[in-house]
Amino acid sequence: MPAPYQFPYLVGGAETLARPASEPRPPSKMATDGLNVFYGQFHAIKHVTLSLPDRRVSALIGPSGCGKSTFLRALNRMHDLTPEARVEGSVTLDGTDIYGPGIDPVEVRHRIGMVFQRANPFPKSIFENVVFGPKVHGERRHRELIEICERSLVKAALWDEVKDRLNSSALGLSGGQQQRLCIARQLAVEPEVILMDEPASALDPLATAKIEDLIFALRRDYAVVIVTHSMQQAARVSDLTSFFLLGEMIETGPTAEVFTHPTDRRTEDYITGRFG
Amino acid sequence: MKRVNVLGAALSFAALVVAPALAATQLTGAGSSFVNPFFSKAFYEYSAAHSDVTVNYQPIGSGGGIQQFTQRTVDFGASDVPMNADEIKRLPASAVQVPIALGGVAVTYNLPSFIKGGLKLTRETLADIYLGKIAKWNDPRLTKINPGAELPDAPIIVVHRSDGSGTTYIFTDFLSHVSGEWKSKVGTGKSVEWPAPSAVGGKGNDGVAGAVRQTSGSIGYVELAYVHENKMTQAQLQNAAGRFGFCTGRGVAAAAATKLNLTPTDFSIVDTKGETAWPIAGYTWAFMYREYQKPEEKSRAKMVRDVLEWTATSGQRIAGTLDYVPLPESVQEIAKKSLSEIKV
Amino acid sequence: MQSESHEQLHLRRSRISDRWFMAGVYGATGLFVAIVAGLFVELYAGSSSSIHAFGFKFLTSSHWNPVTNQFGALPMIYGTVVSSLIAIVLAGFVGVFGAAYLVEFAPRAVARPLAFLIELLAAVPSVIFGLWGLFILAPVLRAYVEPFLQAKFGFLPIFQGFIFGSSLFTAGIVLAIMIVPTVSAITRDVIAAVAREHREASMALGATRWETMARVILPGATTGIFGACVLALGRALGETIATTMVIGNKPAIAASLFQPAYTLASVIANEFTEATSDLYVSALIELGLLLFVVSLAVNGIARVLTWTVLRPAKAR
Repeated sequence: MPAPYQFPYLVGGAETLARPASEPRPPSKMATDGLNVFYGQFHAIKHVTLSLPDRRVSALIGPSGCGKSTFLRALNRMHDLTPEARVEGSVTLDGTDIYGPGIDPVEVRHRIGMVFQRANPFPKSIFENVVFGPKVHGERRHRELIEICERSLVKAALWDEVKDRLNSSALGLSGGQQQRLCIARQLAVEPEVILMDEPASALDPLATAKIEDLIFALRRDYAVVIVTHSMQQAARVSDLTSFFLLGEMIETGPTAEVFTHPTDRRTEDYITGRFG
Repeated sequence: MKRVNVLGAALSFAALVVAPALAATQLTGAGSSFVNPFFSKAFYEYSAAHSDVTVNYQPIGSGGGIQQFTQRTVDFGASDVPMNADEIKRLPASAVQVPIALGGVAVTYNLPSFIKGGLKLTRETLADIYLGKIAKWNDPRLTKINPGAELPDAPIIVVHRSDGSGTTYIFTDFLSHVSGEWKSKVGTGKSVEWPAPSAVGGKGNDGVAGAVRQTSGSIGYVELAYVHENKMTQAQLQNAAGRFGFCTGRGVAAAAATKLNLTPTDFSIVDTKGETAWPIAGYTWAFMYREYQKPEEKSRAKMVRDVLEWTATSGQRIAGTLDYVPLPESVQEIAKKSLSEIKV
Repeated sequence: MQSESHEQLHLRRSRISDRWFMAGVYGATGLFVAIVAGLFVELYAGSSSSIHAFGFKFLTSSHWNPVTNQFGALPMIYGTVVSSLIAIVLAGFVGVFGAAYLVEFAPRAVARPLAFLIELLAAVPSVIFGLWGLFILAPVLRAYVEPFLQAKFGFLPIFQGFIFGSSLFTAGIVLAIMIVPTVSAITRDVIAAVAREHREASMALGATRWETMARVILPGATTGIFGACVLALGRALGETIATTMVIGNKPAIAASLFQPAYTLASVIANEFTEATSDLYVSALIELGLLLFVVSLAVNGIARVLTWTVLRPAKAR
């Protein structure tokens, strides 16, 4: 049963040719070094050192509770909001430690956006959702906001579906549309990295496919990190895959390699469906 | 067989309930809250001397007292004003009303500078202040009777009771006696429509006292006992004989002594002619029915009558210790005579 | 066989408990409706002689004269509504921002005890608020706050005139303090309930905590906060003893908030025990009826406002 995985983007398409394993790693956009995360006494992430390349999709996989989401949230200081969480080690963005002294977490989150498991549009109109970020960051000119809105929605492949009802509530959209709206909202603030926490787990297959297309397209301009519990999804959209288990990162490498020739026994067990 | 058992059980249960009641009969009364401190102490002492009687008095207000008495849910009632013709008409049977306590109402004020000997007021100026016609402390009519006193160019805040009360009744009764305008415009009552634009109402004696104490430039009226307990500044008031004086127990007693023919329909002792009389005073009245039919009612009524008689006579000694004014001998006799009319 | 009978028994038992539950639900609902209806009928019956004697004039007359048996409720309606409005404006402001601070910004060591203290306020008997208002707040307002407002904003009629201490303004502030716990406690729950995901979404877009509070959380919580205010307003409208102690108990309508006023509940509390004439008692009961109606009306208006103003902005 483990055999028929498909790697559509890796095997097809001009710019998405599978790279041989020997090809040098693309330049790193973000990196962690000896990252530990604690929730009170609980050691949730243990000494994870990982490099996340620019203009590539990095997937984090592993069974529930393995810490992949916790790791993701450490990448844009989302744990700051949880009083009992503690982060040790370093996380760098373009070489700068985002947990370093004098670093403004708000600015960090401005540059490192996040898309969540459940689509979470604000109870506002579609337009207001998309321009929320730019407005917060001081953009007041209406013309400019309209342009940003259109540009972002086009990028998120939602424009055609909503262009006639920008002023109606975002809550009226379908689940898949809402998730693409959240991505558009994220794109509107022009981040450099987009973190995605199981962005398609609550969606039907058709909506999932659209999101996956979108994720793959985003790698042209952004570093994308996606957490997923679906190995098929990781295989379909990512360039690199890292396997997490019980708070540790077991294995990382080009997706095709991790899926076809895992070096660690535990990775292989997971991929072949023996647990997880 | 079964029925006998039930009957037996009922009887023994009744015996259980009645037995302690025989030990001490509990009498109940309701009404005026003004007399409550006096009643509590008097009834406590009475029970100490008569172990077969306890009295439970509920200070729910005179109106409530009259209503409960009318519905016969209490053994006696008490009111700061005797029941009027309307209220008597509604009673199920003829009743006897007796004076049971005597109290005076003092005038208190709050001014920034101390006035030696206290602020002096004539009866007319007090009425005009409460009418709002004298609105400032430096009004010529006030400065004239208070030579040398430093009266500010400030409005007079008129403080009154906001709750219906016998105190207000006595005070407005006084104002109606001394001012034709007050009588026609406002009248006498436990609550009235206060005409002064600067009037403020405080709930209870403490409400009035609190408002006066905190409001510079205010004037108010409170029960005598309250003035003594709280060491409030009293105003001197001129009486009908033309003498200025403070409200004192002696002054109130003097006022009471001038009215020898006191009856429930002619009960006012405000603005009396006595040389040393304080002009704002009044009685609290207690009432019970004149006749009782059933033997158990009779024996109960006898106890009530004895309690009230003791309270109106020997018990008056307690009134003095609580800053009420003991009933004059003549009034005690009136109370005794009225109570003797009760057939038990 | 045995297991079958056991199963039957089991089924029947659950069906019976269902029935009891339904009976309980209907019974409780019916009882509730009956109590409200009974209250209304009783108030209406009790006030019938006053309604008959004064009719509509009861609502428009400013004279409350027990001596002549002339009764009008307009000043009390005014005093009730205005004192409660002052209270809800102040308590709404303080309660909502206080709750926002407690939930989102205060360090835990501060937030817990502070929230506890605020909620403790709700357990303080109203007579204590009344005493405090009369002996501590009123003198301070009279000596400092009201003269200050008069000096700065004296051009507004609401701050003009003589300063008494006991006033509509004082009553409004005392009421505000009394209802702040209601506003604050419910608002805290509502803010906490505004999905964590909206908060995170906003933060992930690079908004600060204040921006998140102002642009996402509070707008999302509007309906709930509004509900909290309506509930608090209900308490303010009916509050009796504390208001009576500080409002000045004067049945008059003045433009200035610094003047004494009167509320429906206060008149009843003040005069009911000593009211002897039938018409007087009836008029007092009609005040009760009015209080009932005013409370219903305020609630109704609030509901309509929630539907018409807040809903379309929120969703759809």
